[in-house]
Amino acid sequence: MATVEELYASRIILNAVLPLVKVVVESKADLSTQFAGKTAKIQISAKDPEGKVATHYDIQDGLWTVCKGVTEQPELELEFPSITAMNGFFAGKSKKLPKIKGWYRIGFLIGTLKALLSMGNLLGSKQPPSNAGDKELMVKLLFYLLSSGISQLNKAEHPEVSKWAKRSPDRVYAWAVTGKPELSAYIRVKAGNSKAARGEYTRSKPFFTMRFDSIDSALGILLQTDNMIEATAKGRLTMEGGPEYGAQLGEFMMIVGSYVS
Amino acid sequence: MVINNQELLLLEDKAHELRNLCVDTVMWAGAGHIGGALSSMDIFTILYYKYLKIDPKRPDWPDRDRFILSKGHVGVGYAPVLADKGYFDKELLKEYNHTGSSLGMHLDSAKVPGVDASTGSLGHGLPMAIGMALAARLQNKQYTTYCLLGDGECDEGSVWEAAMSASHFNVTNLVTIIDRNKCMIDGPTEDVMKLEPFADKWRAFGFIVKEVDGHSFTQLSEAIDYALAEKSAPVAIIANTVKGCGIDFMEGDYRWHYGGLDSEKIEQCRESLGRYYEKRCKEV
Amino acid sequence: MGGMTYTMIETSSLSTAELYGQVLCDLAEIHPDIVGLSADLAKSTKIGMFGDKYPHRFFNVGIAEQNMFGIAAGMAKSGLVPFASTFAIFTSMRGLDQVHTDICYQNLNVKMIGTHAGLSFGQAGSTHHCTEDISIMRTMANCKVIVPADGMETANAVQAAYETPGPVYIRINRGFDQRLYPNTGYGFEIGKAVELTEGTDVTVIACGSCVFQAVEAAKILDSVDGIKVMVLDMHTIKPIDREAVLKAVHETRRIITVEDHSIIGGLGSAVAEVMAESGKACAFMRLGIPDIFSIIGLHEDLMAHYKIDTNGIVENVRSLMGRDFEADENWDDEV
Repeated sequence: MATVEELYASRIILNAVLPLVKVVVESKADLSTQFAGKTAKIQISAKDPEGKVATHYDIQDGLWTVCKGVTEQPELELEFPSITAMNGFFAGKSKKLPKIKGWYRIGFLIGTLKALLSMGNLLGSKQPPSNAGDKELMVKLLFYLLSSGISQLNKAEHPEVSKWAKRSPDRVYAWAVTGKPELSAYIRVKAGNSKAARGEYTRSKPFFTMRFDSIDSALGILLQTDNMIEATAKGRLTMEGGPEYGAQLGEFMMIVGSYVS
Repeated sequence: MVINNQELLLLEDKAHELRNLCVDTVMWAGAGHIGGALSSMDIFTILYYKYLKIDPKRPDWPDRDRFILSKGHVGVGYAPVLADKGYFDKELLKEYNHTGSSLGMHLDSAKVPGVDASTGSLGHGLPMAIGMALAARLQNKQYTTYCLLGDGECDEGSVWEAAMSASHFNVTNLVTIIDRNKCMIDGPTEDVMKLEPFADKWRAFGFIVKEVDGHSFTQLSEAIDYALAEKSAPVAIIANTVKGCGIDFMEGDYRWHYGGLDSEKIEQCRESLGRYYEKRCKEV
Repeated sequence: MGGMTYTMIETSSLSTAELYGQVLCDLAEIHPDIVGLSADLAKSTKIGMFGDKYPHRFFNVGIAEQNMFGIAAGMAKSGLVPFASTFAIFTSMRGLDQVHTDICYQNLNVKMIGTHAGLSFGQAGSTHHCTEDISIMRTMANCKVIVPADGMETANAVQAAYETPGPVYIRINRGFDQRLYPNTGYGFEIGKAVELTEGTDVTVIACGSCVFQAVEAAKILDSVDGIKVMVLDMHTIKPIDREAVLKAVHETRRIITVEDHSIIGGLGSAVAEVMAESGKACAFMRLGIPDIFSIIGLHEDLMAHYKIDTNGIVENVRSLMGRDFEADENWDDEV
């Protein structure tokens, strides 16, 4: 029986972390070619007395769609014995591999493991990568993770996050790097509901934007190698819309982080 | 100034010329307020060819005399006068009322040089004239402001508000002339809304009143001379006129307040005006 | 730009109307072309102050508003700059033919000051209220329409009116107005709204006596509800500050307008015109006097009654914040 904390962690992993595999595959040429033209279903799951939980990828002719929940007869499945085991694996605490069903589909297996490894390296790294492309990908992954992570915590009724969401009028909180709109992400909150989304919110000016003046500045704060106060003073980080909202958002970002590391 | 016969004949010539030009303008415009234009033409003539200190080359000359045609609907009579004086090319009259033309039923002071105020809504001219006259006094300028009203127009309350204030502020650098042709759109003035005792009304409001034949240059001139000299109170000149004067089938007929002229009617007009002119010259 | 700065100390006991009278006197000292006119309301509209100081430049035409505006037009034609004062209802209705035809059509330099606007003459009833003038004067071509929020803004408006060619209509109140600006030096410009508070949840656009109320409402909404309200002092209704409205649409997507005027045709309608033509979604609400003739009462009480005071604004902001204007069906996170 998973604890409440474990349930929060699993929600984040299933619905915020695993969807990032698609982003990684699409960003890396060697990975996309691995799946080019292929059609298959790949699932990552965890067994649980209350029912199996999973996220699966529906690949059609090389195009990935991320889907919530369990699918029948995936071509490849990585099945964890429990939610705790799954959480542990993705938090980097456990190196115990899941059961692999369909291991003979070598191509898929290698591709999937490579993607997971790539993602794990980027998300788990304490230092920024040296490659510029990887830096951008890392920022994008982190923005997506944080926005959907907070939204998932709200949906899972995490006490602090859901209290904040319930009280909120219709507002949009965004993360952005100046000059790199393709990396943006945001979360819309309204009266208890929340929705994470990728890209820029263009319907109007977001209620709050956490803005970084460059990729390096973003990584500095996200990896906590940079000092927030100094970064703000030097303009590397700008809170557009009121520092008290920035502080609140920062707190939630830390909470998400605590479940995945 | 007593007018001598020579001057009178010149004025008669000019008035005749202008009446014909007015008929032409009505033809070019398609239709026009010809009745009231013709009843006012002698007043226009004597003002523009004897009294008004103006310069057509400098329509904005700050010290010029002002003239406000409060009965602004008779633009077809007023525009020919301004054209003849040289404020604009006579050729423009051919475009009277045409789309986009600067000349329309009611002359626009912003578009027609020589027009001191845009009028058309009745009852507005006298207050504006008083404003100009008071400004002259404040600015120590010597110009005279003339205002020509219609008699039907004097149904409007704003005329009497103005009259009261002209008397109260003793605006004597203003000459008020009323074209009393006794006709309005729906009938004779006395049938629609009684104005009589008209002169008494102006006197009651503090004016000195001169009643004259609006088609006699001699009488008009005497009255205007008097008005210019009188400083104890403002002067109102009630000019008794004939609507459509000069054209026999229009004279005194309120139905010719506004009308169109086909080529047959135009011929009749010219003939009639010719005869009228001869008659007028004989009387000089 | 004359350096006329008034401080709160000087104006502590002056109503908007008295300040108008005072400012006019000061302007008249520098500019000999200024003349004043009234229709037996010199005392009430405070232009009497000007009349006392410059009797030869002041003309009281008695209870004859149409004559007053006609004379003003004639004076403007002759190069003077007339300031014509009467109650707003008489400027915009009794004398409207003259305002329209003599002044606006001829684009004359007449400055029309309408006092006792809105419901400020509360106890006099509808014969003296004026909840239609913004709507009416807005449709007069060539005419600028300014509704100052307090005494300081009135001083600025009168000065700006003198410096702006053509017809100007300034609408002010009767009694003492709440002080909003500490002095005149906040950068008043005809056609440019003043952003008084920052916020991205909702914008309250107000004019005249309602601006102070909006600022107070913003304070309450911030401290009690955590709602961040942007308050705009839209003192110029025509030409309206389109950019400010569009900015409010884009940044807050919720606009409430507040005016001591009918909700038909005034500030609310002017803002709605810009908003609707922008094509962008925006939740919108007009606060003002509904389509009825008002009851009588003290101005403050009437403002409360018709919900254009602080409490009324707070209540309506709260209501607007709950309104949907974006599709809410899909709350799934994007994957």
